[in-house]
Amino acid sequence: MNVDLELVQRVQAGDKKAFDVLIMKYQQRIVHVITGFVHDPVEALDVAQEAFIKAYRAIPNFRGDSAFYTWLYRIAINTSKNHLTARARRPPAVDVDAMDATNFYDAPELKEFETPETSLMSDELQQAIHQAIQSLPEDTATAIKLREFEGMSYEEIAEVMECPIGTVRSRIFRARDAIDKQIQEIMGEGE
Amino acid sequence: MTVNQNELLSALVDGELQGKELDDALQLLHVDEQARMQLQRYQHASDVLHGHSLGYQTIDLTTRISTALQDEAEFTLATKNNVSAQVIAFPKQFWKQTVSLAVAASIGALAVVGVMNQPDNQLIPSHQVAVVEIETTPMVVAKTGERWTVQEQEVEERLNSYLVDHNEYAGASGVFSYARVVSYDMGR
Repeated sequence: MNVDLELVQRVQAGDKKAFDVLIMKYQQRIVHVITGFVHDPVEALDVAQEAFIKAYRAIPNFRGDSAFYTWLYRIAINTSKNHLTARARRPPAVDVDAMDATNFYDAPELKEFETPETSLMSDELQQAIHQAIQSLPEDTATAIKLREFEGMSYEEIAEVMECPIGTVRSRIFRARDAIDKQIQEIMGEGE
Repeated sequence: MTVNQNELLSALVDGELQGKELDDALQLLHVDEQARMQLQRYQHASDVLHGHSLGYQTIDLTTRISTALQDEAEFTLATKNNVSAQVIAFPKQFWKQTVSLAVAASIGALAVVGVMNQPDNQLIPSHQVAVVEIETTPMVVAKTGERWTVQEQEVEERLNSYLVDHNEYAGASGVFSYARVVSYDMGR
């Protein structure tokens, strides 16, 4: 079973902690999408919070017909539009079908709302992560690339790399740990 | 934080946990603030790689959302689903057959009542009814031979009139026409 769906079912069964994990997983994406509508990062956090609260209240009606993120994305877009309407501001003409939600992050309409500063920081972080991946042993680098860039499951990666799933999991963790250390160094320098 | 715990969180970011491991991860995140931060850092790195991030800042909405939802009741949908699932757990074929049977029975009953209520009942030819003579043992139903065993004549007449009225009404409604042949006066 899809882990998102399992988390949703746990929330539906009364486990609020499971909803925290869904928030942690999707908050960056949702704030990123909402920022494209409301333009103000601080305001975007408030709208994102409202969207998540609406999602929590509506979660008993979620039946898994679509991916959880697609459903959440739709709520976030509607909340953003309502927010702009309430503030007597016109919602952007650009809209994206919910089906394309998972591919929406690189939309040029959103890029134009990023500030030069945040754009620069994102680029720096991306470069640092790519450098960290390049410095990894080949097997570890391949595992994380297949996971992050190709979107493969552990099972698929295990098949491609001809190794057990447990090894794939371990390699991806080691890659992620190295990336995390790299980010920590950069963030330490930035502060 | 142990290496295994970090590995568990990494697998959670990838959506590769299920069952007990997912339970363990949720429990860890519930009790260990460091684990929450670690998970968010892993998630942030993944988001940066996909271009979802707006700079260095890792966003944490969980605390404010949890606070906002603090007074909300926890859902019990799964319980409700289980109950309803038990109620409607019959196979579809069962419902189809039941409905078909009910419809067929209703139509059959209507047909029988309709035939019975024909004025001269021509659909059922009387000459086809076989007459069989059987030896019967006389059985005493009432010592007096009268249907009513009342002392007062006035009461008896009233009962008779009730029966006549009933027969007339039954004939008019078309439902209990058989009552005509058992009227009291005819048998007397």
